[in-house]
Amino acid sequence: MKKTRLKGREIIAIVLLIIGFKLADTTPAQYAQEGKNAFWLMPIVSLLVMLPSFLLLMYLLKKYKDKNLIQLIFSILGKKVGVFMGFIIFLLSYLLLILSARNYTNQITMLYFPESPTTVIMFLFLTVIFFGAKRGLQAIGTATYITLPYLKLSILVLAAAIIPKVVWLRIFPIFGDGLGTILLEGAKRGSIFFDLFILTIAYTAITSNKSFAKGIYFGGAIAFMEIIFFFLLYTTLFDYKSIDKIAFPFHDVTQYVNFGEFFTNVETFFMVFWLGAAFLRFVILIYFGSWLLGETLQLDEFEPLIFPLTLFVFPFSMIVENTITNELIFRNYLLSITTPVLIIFPIILWIVAKSKGALTK
Amino acid sequence: MKKQYYLFFIASLLFVLTGCYDRIELEQQAYVIAIGIDLTDKEEEKGVFKFTYQIANPEVGTTASGGGADEPARETVTLKGSDLMSATTTANAFVSKELKLDHTKVIVISEEFARTGEFLRVLQTAGRTTQLRGGVQILVSKENAKDFLNNNKPIMEKRPHKYYQLMLNRATEVGIIPDANIHRFFQITEGDADLYLAPYATTEIEEPKEYEGEENFIAGNVPQEGGSQSQFMGSAVFKEGQMIDILNGAETRVAATLDNTVELTSVFSTYQDPIKPEYQIAGSFIKKQNTSVEIDYKKNGTTTIDVKVPFQMEIFAIPSLVNYSQNMKNQDLLKKSIEEQLTSFAEDLIKKSQEEYGSDPFYWSLYVRDHFKTIKEYEDADWNKKIFPNADINITYELERLEFGKMINDTNLNEVRD
Repeated sequence: MKKTRLKGREIIAIVLLIIGFKLADTTPAQYAQEGKNAFWLMPIVSLLVMLPSFLLLMYLLKKYKDKNLIQLIFSILGKKVGVFMGFIIFLLSYLLLILSARNYTNQITMLYFPESPTTVIMFLFLTVIFFGAKRGLQAIGTATYITLPYLKLSILVLAAAIIPKVVWLRIFPIFGDGLGTILLEGAKRGSIFFDLFILTIAYTAITSNKSFAKGIYFGGAIAFMEIIFFFLLYTTLFDYKSIDKIAFPFHDVTQYVNFGEFFTNVETFFMVFWLGAAFLRFVILIYFGSWLLGETLQLDEFEPLIFPLTLFVFPFSMIVENTITNELIFRNYLLSITTPVLIIFPIILWIVAKSKGALTK
Repeated sequence: MKKQYYLFFIASLLFVLTGCYDRIELEQQAYVIAIGIDLTDKEEEKGVFKFTYQIANPEVGTTASGGGADEPARETVTLKGSDLMSATTTANAFVSKELKLDHTKVIVISEEFARTGEFLRVLQTAGRTTQLRGGVQILVSKENAKDFLNNNKPIMEKRPHKYYQLMLNRATEVGIIPDANIHRFFQITEGDADLYLAPYATTEIEEPKEYEGEENFIAGNVPQEGGSQSQFMGSAVFKEGQMIDILNGAETRVAATLDNTVELTSVFSTYQDPIKPEYQIAGSFIKKQNTSVEIDYKKNGTTTIDVKVPFQMEIFAIPSLVNYSQNMKNQDLLKKSIEEQLTSFAEDLIKKSQEEYGSDPFYWSLYVRDHFKTIKEYEDADWNKKIFPNADINITYELERLEFGKMINDTNLNEVRD
């Protein structure tokens, strides 16, 4: 049992960072492949699909008190099935992490360090992440809480700089390629909220259960609105024919804006904050991933796992040939198989718990 | 032991933190300010283009111009290549530094090249690399882009990047050339519904036309004495990535007043004096509110488009010396006359675009979009083939406020001559 305890505000910060900053990676590009100019509606569908299961999970955690995600699975499903399920959740989160790590390093090399080999950038990236994750939960929480205002401020500045350039009427035709596509593809990508499920591993490491719930709902709501707002900006800045051609909308936007006539080429300003956010995001994900695995294997100490887990990201992420296949084939596929898992497992837990009569107490 | 460990760690950082891979010194880079694209002279060379790079000398015009004080402000080189990026590396055969397109302000394409429709192909490179930004302006030159860049010798603004920036900004502000960057080019061309307007410029000055009002010119025939040799006036019309026509300065201005997606601050222009028609009245057209475009779409039948342009006007020259400012009757007459002149001008342009171009340079396809739920329905309705060319368009300019500058009344000429 860890002694460090996070406060509600730190949970808000973590949620805002790992969910909110999806607007700045390749998530919008992925959505836009299917949704075209209506892709800003898709996260709404994704959220609606995931929300019942997530609320169910939160309800179970509340009922069972003092148990985190994996402990909850163990106490409901027993040891054997518990290990299996915990392992699946870990594996999905770890694979997604590997693919996004490749994604991020590719963005860095392509946009800012074109001459540097991807492997070197990846190595440096992982080194920083390893040392960050090694500092432990308290440090991660505090670091996120302290830096978040600046990171969000840079995003706000960017939004303020784009707004004069957008053409709002570009949101029409309102349903893009059709309502059916939006509903289906939006639902498939429900797993962009996977990180919220992963965070429940920290359920017992918060000062109170109430502040955990508060933090996760509040943070999630703000991050969700942020995503919708930025997707809307992307749609209205690029037209429906162009939006699906852009691999890194965030960086395209930072290259396009300038502050008046004197301050042109300002993308490096945003890059610094973006990179900071990326580091923190992966530190959090690696830490929580190790925690998931540690709990699943019922280890006393999971922090020694951080090193091997970070190390293995390196070879695996290098397997894929280029970003486009990485993003559009592997990550896309993984996201769509993760979604049903996330929807179903809280329901299974609930049904089993109910049949055992554990919920009536 | 612990100390040694840290020491080792810090020492090993030395190898990592030097960042050798992408280190490039400022003096190893040459900043291309303007790029010119032409067709080659030989017919058979398909897929090969002539690229001209105008490179700025960053030392000129700064206070720290120690050594290279008498170096020229720019270097212009031309070479053949198949695309923009590979030509930059070939250029290193005779340019000593690495060419960087990060600070490019403008792409100049010759009219001849623009009319072939190959431009889109060449410009696609811009999207794949990070060097060429969406904010780079597109310019169409009457002569070869190479000649344009070579002849373009500004007198006051020696530093090329400032020159293009200031020249384009000012001319756009007064509306005689459109605001046209790469980003807009792609949105409109890929959107495949509207026409794209790019500034038209030249350095070859023809015999000036007869004087026909302040802005009925295109670049090359603005009567000019002295000053820089290059003229920016009017716009090149692109349909589906191919140049099809030229609009003059006045038409460009009208197109800008009808389009809500371009910024227009104040446009100086002259109008016929309604009481003494031999004189012109000069005023600045101020657009404070958006133009309202209402489209009543009918699937089978004529679509009607109602356009209302609310504007304000500040009169600053009444050479006829008629009292418009205090005589209400005259003022109403003037208001009406200005509205009518603008309306009839716009009607002409709309007629031309409906009949000749078959599409609109005002980005009006935006307003029909909310009649459709999906992209497919919208594309099937076909704005530029079915809807716009057959639409019934009613246009009204509404003068909301008329100001007369800081003078209450003009001199009474009869009293002076008395």
